[in-house]
Amino acid sequence: MAARVIARCVRSLNHRTVCFNRVNTVATLTAAPLIRGRAFSQLTHGHKSPLEQFSISSFQVFQWRQYGDLPPLTLDSIHERVLYVLKLYDKISPEKLQATSHFMKDLGLDSLDQVEIIMAMEDEFGFEIPDADAEKLMTPQEIVQYIADKKDVYELA
Amino acid sequence: MANSLRAEVVQLYKTLLFLGREYPKGADYFRDRLRAAFAKNKDVSDPEKIKELISRGEFVVKELEALYYLRKYRALKKRYY
Repeated sequence: MAARVIARCVRSLNHRTVCFNRVNTVATLTAAPLIRGRAFSQLTHGHKSPLEQFSISSFQVFQWRQYGDLPPLTLDSIHERVLYVLKLYDKISPEKLQATSHFMKDLGLDSLDQVEIIMAMEDEFGFEIPDADAEKLMTPQEIVQYIADKKDVYELA
Repeated sequence: MANSLRAEVVQLYKTLLFLGREYPKGADYFRDRLRAAFAKNKDVSDPEKIKELISRGEFVVKELEALYYLRKYRALKKRYY
């Protein structure tokens, strides 16, 4: 018992609070963070005092990690994002845009526009589309299908 | 023959478009100029002429890279002095 009193006084000296009686709760509370994880205090206490339990439970931190992952792609979400990117493109009027409209025949774009659209899709979906494949993608529907194939997205049966 | 040149032209266009995003006067300004430059020569069909134009485009790419390099160097230098 005497050893506990001395140990507590030594610890509380660190905080410039001298305590000579062992029920001074202010001093023990300020010393409480020091108690954690110290072999010395483990030795002197021998058993877990209620105070120590209190200090541990009060400093408990609930970890909830959220990893940086995107929501899974579905055909609908790909379709939505493709049309969104196309609507933002200044030479396409949003009213005329359909999922099946051909870039050159229906929307009046040229091949340079088509290259720009494919580059915008690369930025949006974060992967590179080879030129050989990019030349064939002429409608929003084809782009959706191509991205779904590359990202392993299939229609649920 | 024509196909390989077409791929080269498209590649050049993509490269220039990508580099143009950082252009000091703005990406839109650069894109309009770039499109005009490509559209001006869209009727060229002589392979030699196309190759010459591609090499000119690659020269522009190098110039742009040099411009960005210089800009970065100056920005660094300005922070020291």
